[in-house]
Amino acid sequence: MTIVNTSGDAVEQGWRTVESVESSGPHHGIIVSPAILQDSFDESDSAALSQVGVRLTVDDDVSEIAAYVPHLGLIELVFAHFKDGRPYSAATTIRRDYKFTHELRASGDVLPDQAIFLIRSGFSSVDVPDQFTAQEFKKSLMAYSVAYQSAYDSHLSLIDELRRSTPDVAAE
Amino acid sequence: MYVYDSLDKTLLNQRVAEFRDQVKRRLDGDLTEDQFKPLRLMNGLYLQLHAYMLRVAIPYGTLSSDQMRKLAYIAKTYDRGYGHFTTRQNIQFNWIELSTAPDLLYDLSEVDLHAIQTSGNCIRNVTADPYAGAAADELDDPRIWSEVIRQWSTLHPEFSFLPRKFKIAVTGSKADRAAIKFHDIGLKIVRNNEGVLGFAVYVGGGQGRTPIVAPLIKSFLPAQDLLRYLDAVLRVYNRHGRRDNIYKARIKILVDSMGADSFAAEVAAEFDRLDPELLSVRDEDVSRLRDMFAQPFLRPDPDASSSLEDLVKKSPRLGLWFKSNTHPHKTPGYSIVTISLKPIGGIPGDATAEQMFAVADLADRFSLGEIRVTYTQNLILPHVRQADLFVLWQELERLNLATPNVGLASDIIACPGLDYCSLANARSIPISQRISDRFADLNAQHDVGPLDIRISGCINACGHHHAGHIGILGVDKKGEERYQLTLGGQGNGESEVGKIVGPGFDEDGIVDAVETVVSTYLTLRTKGEEFSQTLARTGQGPFKERLYDNR
Repeated sequence: MTIVNTSGDAVEQGWRTVESVESSGPHHGIIVSPAILQDSFDESDSAALSQVGVRLTVDDDVSEIAAYVPHLGLIELVFAHFKDGRPYSAATTIRRDYKFTHELRASGDVLPDQAIFLIRSGFSSVDVPDQFTAQEFKKSLMAYSVAYQSAYDSHLSLIDELRRSTPDVAAE
Repeated sequence: MYVYDSLDKTLLNQRVAEFRDQVKRRLDGDLTEDQFKPLRLMNGLYLQLHAYMLRVAIPYGTLSSDQMRKLAYIAKTYDRGYGHFTTRQNIQFNWIELSTAPDLLYDLSEVDLHAIQTSGNCIRNVTADPYAGAAADELDDPRIWSEVIRQWSTLHPEFSFLPRKFKIAVTGSKADRAAIKFHDIGLKIVRNNEGVLGFAVYVGGGQGRTPIVAPLIKSFLPAQDLLRYLDAVLRVYNRHGRRDNIYKARIKILVDSMGADSFAAEVAAEFDRLDPELLSVRDEDVSRLRDMFAQPFLRPDPDASSSLEDLVKKSPRLGLWFKSNTHPHKTPGYSIVTISLKPIGGIPGDATAEQMFAVADLADRFSLGEIRVTYTQNLILPHVRQADLFVLWQELERLNLATPNVGLASDIIACPGLDYCSLANARSIPISQRISDRFADLNAQHDVGPLDIRISGCINACGHHHAGHIGILGVDKKGEERYQLTLGGQGNGESEVGKIVGPGFDEDGIVDAVETVVSTYLTLRTKGEEFSQTLARTGQGPFKERLYDNR
């Protein structure tokens, strides 16, 4: 399994998904379901939670773990199908409403050609599906140097600022 | 008109390059058809019954003469010499080779045209009043705001994989010529009591299997908050819209099931959470767009109309044409001219490359180089001096583009149907042609008066049959094409969903049925009463009687 960052480069995984949690910690870099999160961790234990990630499917509601979110080290949003775009809006909500600044990872059924949408919606890493390569994601990320909207990633929202400060162009 | 700047051009060039690479990967076998399908659909390339079809976006129905020339060139070079103007102000080319599609898109990009978001579950090409900038009853130019929406929605990172396609229409006039309440979002430009410009926002209209006239969600949205509000609507839809059933996935179903009030409340809550700065439409951006769309000064010519009356006396056919195919312009002495793409017995919306080249030249000579496309599948020259009407009419006659039938029985809206479309259950075009032939007498059409006949070849309703005075829906009944008849729809000005009259007809039967409906109206109408008024007064009863009497 390959994880790529916002530049499309393969990076160290660093996290592992577990199906259960030994009650005696400490834990380092584990990804759990929302149920295990709530059963095994105290929402105010920010030190422990910084080593914990949660994995949300399209049917999970992030508001149910709202108190945990600011302390989590990682949130993984699983795409059920590349055409099911709910995680894009979930990412916006997690970044904007919950002010989540740590790693936001996309996994499941995603296409290389969607990489730029993922990164611009606030994802900071992608778990590359087996049938694709990190290079394909990188290539797709390089396809565009401009965008009309401001977005979570600063790289492209700078372009938006560029348009606004360029005298002969019409901005949105 | 809007002029692409370097950023617009950069994005478009990068899009073309990306697609060229995707097509290469497909042709080299690196992509399966399953993997390629969503990519080509994002570029408007459909696989139809006989070939690939490419749908090109015509931004809010506005074309320059150079853009029209390029479309003509495309028709000649990549297609079989014609194009088809659609019911969403777009154009489709029906005979495209996959291997040359990237070249086609490159050619289009030279005149700032593209096929981005003409298919797929994303925000589609924005449609608008085709009389924009020319209509006397206009509060503000809808193209300004359509362009704002075009930019915001193009390759939107969050809203490109919605539950279903999403269509936005804008009108700036009192008379709704964009059928905004049949769209996912309909925007009507209004001013509040303080004179502030804004929008009345309608959400959740549509046709298809479940026709719904959109309810009013917000009666006044200040113009600067437009994108912030659209963002909120789209997020609520992306979050909650159904994805388990393609027929229940449009926003109209969500609004209907939540109730318009709770939907509006959820949008309002999302709106309040959004940073006003980030999505605010800035005054300087709007005034820049306003300058781009401002038309050059037209010298008022108030005496023109009297000489026109003389011309009408000289040629009765010109008189008919003037009556049905021209509309008053906001500047005295000018007209908005509709070019009919509905010759008697012809295919609605089709134009040959030669016709398109010629229309481009006529636009340069007579209409400041501007052309519009209507959702009723005609073209418009928006700024024609009345003193030029006679010459223009003669040229259009020569091109078979002056059929005096706009808004009349043979101005039929029809989808491509089973002749092209892989979704269709029945043919639309031949039915339309036969009805047109049946009403070939143009004097008689003028006597019948305004009549809106619309034909869809399947329940997806691309022919807008729900909104026609007379609507025809093609269905497949045990392998046979059958046609259902609806009466009482309204799609021009008012928005009403028509009602099915009774059992369906076969191909011959439906043509007879339309004639029966019209002759029934002629016996029922009072002086000066239009078809839809008579129907509203009498109800379907007398029509039903005549239609099913002899069965």
